[in-house]
Amino acid sequence: MRAYLSYFKLRFITHLQYRAAAWAGIATQVFFGFVYIMVYIAFYESGSASLPMQLPQLITYIWLNQALLSLVNLFYKDQELFSLVKTGNIAYELARPKNMYFMWYFKIIGERLSKVVLRAIPFIIFLMFLPEPYRISLPASFEHFLLFLSTMTAGTLLMTSIIALYPIITMHTLNEKGVVGIIISISDIFSGLVVPIPFFPKFLQTISKCMPFQYVSDLPFRIYVGNIGLQEGLIGLIIQIIWIIILITLGYILMQKSLKKVVVQGG
Amino acid sequence: MSYIEVNHITKSFKVAKKKSGLKESFKSFFKRDYKIVEAVKDISFSIEKGEIVGYIGPNGAGKSTTIKILSGILTPDSGKCKVGKQTPWIDRKEYVKKIGVVFGQRSQLWWDIPAEDTFDLLKDIYDIPEERYQKTKEELVEKLNLKDIINVPVRQLSLGQRMRCEIAASLLHEPEILFLDEPTIGLDAISKQLVRDFIKRINKEKKTTIILTTHDMSDIDALAKRIILIGKGQVLYDGSLQKLKNNYANKKYITVNTKDAINIRTKGVLKKEKTKDGYLFTIDSKELNISDFLNVISKKVQIEDVEIDNENLDNMIVNLYEDLKI
Amino acid sequence: MKVYLKHLGLHLKSLLEYKASFITSFLSQIIVFFSYYFIILALFTKFDNIKGFTLYEVLLCFAVIQFGFAFNESFARGLDHFDELIIKGEFDRILLRPKNILLQVCGYEADYTKVSRLIQALIVLVIALINLKIEWSIMKVITLLLMLLSAIAVFFSIFLLAASYCFITVQGLEVRNVFTAGGKHMAQYPIGVFKKGFVYFFTFIIPYAFVNYYPLLYFLGKTNNPLYALSPLLVFVYLIPCFLIFYKGTKRYASAGS
Repeated sequence: MRAYLSYFKLRFITHLQYRAAAWAGIATQVFFGFVYIMVYIAFYESGSASLPMQLPQLITYIWLNQALLSLVNLFYKDQELFSLVKTGNIAYELARPKNMYFMWYFKIIGERLSKVVLRAIPFIIFLMFLPEPYRISLPASFEHFLLFLSTMTAGTLLMTSIIALYPIITMHTLNEKGVVGIIISISDIFSGLVVPIPFFPKFLQTISKCMPFQYVSDLPFRIYVGNIGLQEGLIGLIIQIIWIIILITLGYILMQKSLKKVVVQGG
Repeated sequence: MSYIEVNHITKSFKVAKKKSGLKESFKSFFKRDYKIVEAVKDISFSIEKGEIVGYIGPNGAGKSTTIKILSGILTPDSGKCKVGKQTPWIDRKEYVKKIGVVFGQRSQLWWDIPAEDTFDLLKDIYDIPEERYQKTKEELVEKLNLKDIINVPVRQLSLGQRMRCEIAASLLHEPEILFLDEPTIGLDAISKQLVRDFIKRINKEKKTTIILTTHDMSDIDALAKRIILIGKGQVLYDGSLQKLKNNYANKKYITVNTKDAINIRTKGVLKKEKTKDGYLFTIDSKELNISDFLNVISKKVQIEDVEIDNENLDNMIVNLYEDLKI
Repeated sequence: MKVYLKHLGLHLKSLLEYKASFITSFLSQIIVFFSYYFIILALFTKFDNIKGFTLYEVLLCFAVIQFGFAFNESFARGLDHFDELIIKGEFDRILLRPKNILLQVCGYEADYTKVSRLIQALIVLVIALINLKIEWSIMKVITLLLMLLSAIAVFFSIFLLAASYCFITVQGLEVRNVFTAGGKHMAQYPIGVFKKGFVYFFTFIIPYAFVNYYPLLYFLGKTNNPLYALSPLLVFVYLIPCFLIFYKGTKRYASAGS
């Protein structure tokens, strides 16, 4: 465990180096938040009969998405990892006495947390001082907030479990753009990053329920704004945990399998 | 007036200070310190047409900065530089037609397609007339023995084959000056020999001026008569390789195998090290005759075996760096 | 220009070395594009207009913007990835060549998978045009062509500015996304539907409004002022300072190094 933690710490420090990137990241995400919100405001002002979310809820949803993007974004492109796989240098990693799957797992979490720690807190404080209607709202209730924290934690683990599969898939396809690219594009839609799930047509909402993506971000954010009740939220948390177990098991087994393959090929 | 004239070139960069540790990382996240690094200061030298010059120095000495200035990529802070009648960083497009550059660690060949396709592209980039291009290409293919490899995707070539193609690519437009940056890095003995022989040949036949930077002293030994040594941004030695050798060749390494202990304090013994089977002495042969030295020892102890080595070029350079404290 | 076209040819040849991965990448590009298209469709199932613009009017706007962006992503990829050129030292190599720097940079990379977006953008354009009842005239044909060309120009100028920024530092390049991806997201809708501040920003700082709003009003018959039809020409004027900044950047690079 110590080894994994120090791996985590190293990643964390590495990312702190990128100062300008962090400031630029905050500025970018503030801007993006505004862009999305502007579009919705224009739509809401044009009027409509039945809407699945109220505007303030939607705005808070969008801001949470931007502030916590590093924890929920399933887009992942790490040249180091992928080139390790593509060049076959992965064989050297085998020489290390630690399990590679979990090393990657901690590497990914380390990167993502370092980004969030630096960005999220000043970001959210800033959002609380924005003028109406752009201001971020407080959680629907204290219970909602607690449930949000738990589902957010589970969501982060779920995100990592999904991303940790990418290099393994790359090991099989030897191309990080193809299959992984398709997964990323699908997850983009179904995690609610572009449009919250309630705005989907009914049949797509049903399809979405069968995939893990909406449980990464859509679930916790909607709990926060009160769009999902406490009971439904608890069920969501259980589904999250089931997905995490499934995906980690899958990743671990696939990794062991592909490592054996690498050994047989002699790297 | 020499062909290449470099006069009092100075160039400095602004570099961010890096600190280690979590706390320092946090600090520098908010505030960062910069320092000015003088990559080269007041460098001057001149090179005649058709010379081969070895440009050497430890990492970070300012080698690549000088090469970048000479090839027109960088503009110096001050100083003058003339190649023929041109200044490299002025009128870039015209100037670069005269030069070829090979980076040993970077490739200009397209990875996924045969080298010949890259050659065709270079023909258009350098506006080489079709006839001249065909002639030069054939010549290079013949001399570098490329016939079977220019039609294979570059990614399938060995490092040695790739380097040969790389060199050919840099010579298609028949440059007057060729910059070689570590051209033999990572190559096996045969490929190294091939590359060196070729460099000598084009230097002789086409009077191409060659500036070679390398850490491999055997490259220098095989190719360059003259070396320019740079350290901490300054020229420390500029002259013939032979002279440098003569200065340092009086150092001899004598390995004496013996079971006895040796205590000797004579002028001329520069260093004594204990080895597994005896001692390794470093002797200044100007101060102390080798046979005298052996005489003295053989009287004192029972010698099992003796081995005498001359200074090799690698050590010479290491010593030189040490002496010059760079 | 010949050298640039040759670059494109060689990129195609390289690509054909990896057919399978090209096909999957192409597929994933189709899904990505579809997801953009999907957002608009999904929102229009809940709303029936955005400030008076209907679904197909918005789709027309969307198609023009996506076309311009995809064109640059396909054929000026090297400029989009300029930070990599600097980091890898490939820009040094370009400076060693006796040809126009900018064309060499553009030709450094070509992404043919993005051509799929180009095609899809044109398909959406056709769908929109069929469903809109346009009273065609020569002036309207010219307006549409100007919109498409200025869409290419507006993204090219942003790419140029972002590349120029790389001469100073390659850190914090995410800001570029504000103007490309962020701008693109907004400009999918006619700029005029947004709040004043944003409209001004995307009119005077980055001239998206001259690509997708003023000429659109004319094209849809919401105004008869021919100045609106010709307003995309301003985008080409905007390109000039962008070129100058880039060339200034190359000069700066020579004096600062990497």
